Amino acid sequence: MPQPRNARVQVSCFTAHKQTDFFRTTHHHHPFSLLLLLLSNPLPFTCRNSPAAACSVYFDRASRRWVPRHVLPCFRSHRGVDTELQRSTCPHKPHQAVTSACSQSTSPVKPAKVDWPPAVREYVGRAFEGQNTIKGISREDVTKKLKEVIGFFAERSQLDSVTWSTYPLPQELLRDERLSKMDAAGVKPTLSGTTNTTHDNTPSKKRKSQDRDELQPQPTPGRKTNNLEDRITFAGGNEKRHKKNGLPRDTQSKFDQNDLEKRKQRFNLGTATANRPMPPWVATRNDSDSDMNTAPVVGTNQRLEKQYLRLTAPPKAETVRPQHVLEKTLQMLTRKWKEEKNYGYICNQFKSLRQDLTVQHIKNAFTVKVYELHARIALEKGDLGEYNQCQTQLKALYSQRLGGNPAEFTAYRILYFVYTCNKTDMNDLLAELTPADKTHPWIKHALDVRSSLALGNYHKFFQLYLDAPNMGSYLMDMFIERERLHALANISKAYVPTLEHVR
Amino acid sequence: MSGATQAPTKSTDDKSKTVDAENSENKKAAVAPLEEDDEFEDFPVEDWTEEESQIPGGTTHLWEESWDDDDTSEDFAVQLREELKKLGNSK
Amino acid sequence: MQDALAEFYTAYASGSAVAVAHFLNPISPPQNPGRLYDFWRTTNEVRVGGDVQYALESRLRRHMSPNEINAWVDVISAYWRGVDKIVKAEQAENQGKLAERQAIDVYDAWKDLTSTFIKYISNGALPHWAVFTLYFTANHLRKFALKADEQMAKAKPVTFSSGFQDDIVSTTPRNEKLEEAARVFNRIFALCLGDRNPELMSSRKWGVYCIANLQFKTYFKLKTISLSKNVVKSIAAQSDLPQFHLYPASHRVTYMYYVGVISFLQEDYTMAEASLTEAWNSCYAYSSKNQELIMSYLIPCRLITEHKIPSAQLLNQFPHLRSLFGDLMDSIKKGDLSGFDKALTEGEPEFVKRRIFLTLERSRDIALRNLFRKVFLSAGYEDLKEGQTENDRIRKSRIPISHFAAALRMSTAGTGSSQVVDDDEVECLLANMIYKGHMKGYISRDHGMVVLNKKGAFPKTGV
Repeated sequence: MPQPRNARVQVSCFTAHKQTDFFRTTHHHHPFSLLLLLLSNPLPFTCRNSPAAACSVYFDRASRRWVPRHVLPCFRSHRGVDTELQRSTCPHKPHQAVTSACSQSTSPVKPAKVDWPPAVREYVGRAFEGQNTIKGISREDVTKKLKEVIGFFAERSQLDSVTWSTYPLPQELLRDERLSKMDAAGVKPTLSGTTNTTHDNTPSKKRKSQDRDELQPQPTPGRKTNNLEDRITFAGGNEKRHKKNGLPRDTQSKFDQNDLEKRKQRFNLGTATANRPMPPWVATRNDSDSDMNTAPVVGTNQRLEKQYLRLTAPPKAETVRPQHVLEKTLQMLTRKWKEEKNYGYICNQFKSLRQDLTVQHIKNAFTVKVYELHARIALEKGDLGEYNQCQTQLKALYSQRLGGNPAEFTAYRILYFVYTCNKTDMNDLLAELTPADKTHPWIKHALDVRSSLALGNYHKFFQLYLDAPNMGSYLMDMFIERERLHALANISKAYVPTLEHVR
Repeated sequence: MSGATQAPTKSTDDKSKTVDAENSENKKAAVAPLEEDDEFEDFPVEDWTEEESQIPGGTTHLWEESWDDDDTSEDFAVQLREELKKLGNSK
Repeated sequence: MQDALAEFYTAYASGSAVAVAHFLNPISPPQNPGRLYDFWRTTNEVRVGGDVQYALESRLRRHMSPNEINAWVDVISAYWRGVDKIVKAEQAENQGKLAERQAIDVYDAWKDLTSTFIKYISNGALPHWAVFTLYFTANHLRKFALKADEQMAKAKPVTFSSGFQDDIVSTTPRNEKLEEAARVFNRIFALCLGDRNPELMSSRKWGVYCIANLQFKTYFKLKTISLSKNVVKSIAAQSDLPQFHLYPASHRVTYMYYVGVISFLQEDYTMAEASLTEAWNSCYAYSSKNQELIMSYLIPCRLITEHKIPSAQLLNQFPHLRSLFGDLMDSIKKGDLSGFDKALTEGEPEFVKRRIFLTLERSRDIALRNLFRKVFLSAGYEDLKEGQTENDRIRKSRIPISHFAAALRMSTAGTGSSQVVDDDEVECLLANMIYKGHMKGYISRDHGMVVLNKKGAFPKTGV
């Protein structure tokens, strides 16, 4: 008795387009007869266990490990905070390291424990000299800013490397910030990352918002920060993330030459300062908003692995990996996937890989390769959320003719809509196909699957199931049981008088 | 309800008298019907009477049965009979 | 300025929303192609507000409340600003310099006009019928949004995301302006539907259906058809609307058309048939494109619900329908599968565009039924037994599967068909016919026979 194919050779997604030896029955029965046989001999036809949506994991900060989502009952509770952050002018998290460095001591002017260098003391003194007062900037503000400036360098043990005599005074920094803030006013940055105007509610969208809930960095509870502090410490958020990623904090960044020039002009800094890490507030607001959204980051990070975190601020160059590193990352991930099959890890790594590509505006054949691979892995593991996200991206990338395997993924899309029975989507997809597409064997296979079901030709449908190219059978697995039941219902009715025992 | 009847008419009863705002624009498009998309055209007038609606008497003669018994002499039927005769009553 | 406003005074005095809408038309009428330009020249950007105010006050002070005068001043000034952008866009176009910017400017200015209208309707400064004038203004907004999006798409074919998104391709809508316009229409719809004025005669509820139609057209363009369902639902939930038949026919017919199409797309063919039939019966006799549109959905619908095809008379009356459906219907009627497959394949791009392909495809069953029916008829009658007369003759009801197989192969032998047939497949298709109720009987696999009912083997086809 040949079994319906419940044992399948797992097809690696890396070799998917080279048709590997799929399960085939050695003595070939026509599938429809096979069903008839099944019917007359009530053998339980087994359902292949479809892989559960495995990647619903959450990074638990407390235990510092990945836990399945259901373990964390309150993962939705961040939503309120999240929204609030998006609404405020600056969504960035306060930098704990910076603030804790000085906020505990009541005044840095009278350092109790630390022995401040004379240059710093002078700097502090100048900050409070009457002649340096800037109208509209209160003494409190200056004090606070001062704490942050000094705290920033103190924390890095770099108090000596700053030319304090020429370093801008806190009030000057504040003025600069406010001015640039005014420049930027009117252009409200879209910081949420997604527009809320789309009416789409595809699974991928839902998935995305879940991710946001899960992976949004949590603000420290009970800590209320004002806007100003948010603004000046926003890059610190990155810094923290940075640390979390296990990267050396002071990775030297190669700033874009243009950027550097701007900064120099703004602060009259000498070239000597160029190689110093830039304090967070130096990344001023006026080259942010508009520019920030268009100028690609040029990454400098050399590490292969990087944990995915959703961005709420422009990434720093030192946290982003350039393409040649990402290519090695992809090789490594490919190898690890083959060896370890740890989907939670792989999915997370792919997401950070995709993010690094995005922030650097890398869209080329490599980008396509990354998305194709992630889509195949997600498909193999039945993670439809990620799979659909990749598909959406691939569709747009293919429209740019960047290479890859558009036919393979078009076929998957057709099969997916067969699965969802979404007639409107299917129609829209059919509308996109060119005559050349329709004759491509993989696409034609998917189209035949569609039409065989539409016409109730189960015989042909089961044959097509056995002949699915690439990873088509993973998609067909999602609806094969449903259609097998339809076929059985159909047969039972048509053959009923001759199949007594079924009644 | 008699009062209500007047509400729309008051504002819309001037249909055929004036060339409506939409009409001028639609003249261009009217040359090639059923080509563009399935967007319903703006009517040239706002309201009309039943007499101005098309085909009184409903849908009775719009439809017919989808099978055809009048073509027993048609090629295919003849051919089919020949073919089946050859097969006889065997399987 | 007074001369330029003369048309407005007449229109207003007639109390006709359409006439006022005509005054606020962004397109010059064919008989007066210079109208917009002439109006534009009466004033300029700096003076427009003052000019209109002075004109209206001196003319209407005794007929209108100051509030209403103020409202019309703003509306007409906003209209002038719209015209200003239109004239400038036309000038740019004439110089071959029409760009994204102009189309967006026109749209933005027209959106201001629409918003001004909404403001004064919702605060009650304008008379209740102005909601119909608003409808026309909003309809133009829809068209300007389409143009603006078209220009923007030309300027920037694909947007790649920047900023903080995780994925490379932005989800930024390609129809930015139309989506924005959709939100404006939502506001107007809410304004109409939620009118608490107990006096039905002067209620904004009369605007509900025409604004809903505007939303449908927009959602269909945006390919967010599912949002149309919400509109239908909220209308159904509103119990205190005026009776449907009291609305102007254009509102009703358009509404029924869209409700029909929405049901059609949800595969609720019964509902679709009812709505489309109603739209058909009330459709304006001289709007043949709309009639054809109704029929383009009603025909596939009737195939599914009643297995009926359009009459020759109907197809002859509408040549476009004839070219769209003629071959397919002939093939169905003849049970010609090759012809059917060919017609379906050839018409596919057009059918897909009209979203009827997947429904039409299902009517292959009817063609198949007709083919099998022929096999049944060819089998002839059982021999008469002793004592039986011609009237007692009964058709042979046990038919070899091989006969159906032969017919299938003959019918699909043509070049047009991509379907090949093997024996199991024949059984499968027969099983399908029985399962779906097109044939009554059962398959006897052991004997290789189909045993059909003695009466009504092919229901509703007279045999």
